Amino acid sequence: MKIDNSLPLEYSTEENNLKILGFWIFLGAEIMLFATLFTMYFTLENRIGNGPSGAEIFEITPVLVETILLLTSSFVIGLGIHAMRLGNKKAMMIFFSITLLLGAGFLGFEIYEFVHYIHVGATLQTSAFTAALLTTLGTHGLHVTFGLFWGIAILIQIKKRGLTPETTNKSFIFSLYWHFLDVIWIFIFSFIYLKGMM
Amino acid sequence: MKELFPVKQVMGFVFSLILTAVALMVYFTDMSFSIGMTILLVTAFIQAGLQLVVFMHAGETNDKNSIYLNVYYGLIIALITIFGTLLILVWDM
Repeated sequence: MKIDNSLPLEYSTEENNLKILGFWIFLGAEIMLFATLFTMYFTLENRIGNGPSGAEIFEITPVLVETILLLTSSFVIGLGIHAMRLGNKKAMMIFFSITLLLGAGFLGFEIYEFVHYIHVGATLQTSAFTAALLTTLGTHGLHVTFGLFWGIAILIQIKKRGLTPETTNKSFIFSLYWHFLDVIWIFIFSFIYLKGMM
Repeated sequence: MKELFPVKQVMGFVFSLILTAVALMVYFTDMSFSIGMTILLVTAFIQAGLQLVVFMHAGETNDKNSIYLNVYYGLIIALITIFGTLLILVWDM
């Protein structure tokens, strides 16, 4: 395999470049997936039937904490990739671990939020609004959950094999996924929560 | 230690925190729906762009054009899906 040493390790082979481009194309499909969920939410957000409305059930504190946690984790994984490019395996593993811890914290708050919703009578079956809300939030939450396992698997590989063209490529692609989840959260935060509480 | 915190990314992080704070204004202050939505649209899209360029290194390699083309395509389909549906089902035009 031809290795180009002038580029960061994750781009150093043709195959690596193609994998990164391929993942961007996957993210393009993910944009459309979340677009359909947002479409459903915006169409149904006023169809609350006998259930509660968004303004009645949204709480600013957990939402704000989730936003800060995810925003910070996205920044920290960026630092992780930077450390990886410097060849600093230890710093990279620390940054990736912090990222996953922040992600786990985010998930904890989201689970708390779901329990709260069900507690106040906003379940998947209550109204078109709650069904659309929980499906959209749940799809994002499932992505984060999947990301946690993926991240742990990558950390184990980095620990075992060190920084090679393969492991750095996987780590970089994982960082793309993680940043993407933050991008989606920004839209959920703005157009579901803040819009609903405005 | 300092080399582990590149200025560009730290600035990007600070800027995204500021944008989040600006977006929060729609909750903490009294403003009309249309002004609030305008603020949210501006802050959300700037923040998404920031993530894409600063943190995801979208413009770094020779695949730059394909990557941006792909993102724009996804975005266009997303906006057509969302606003097309709203136009027909919600705004009733």
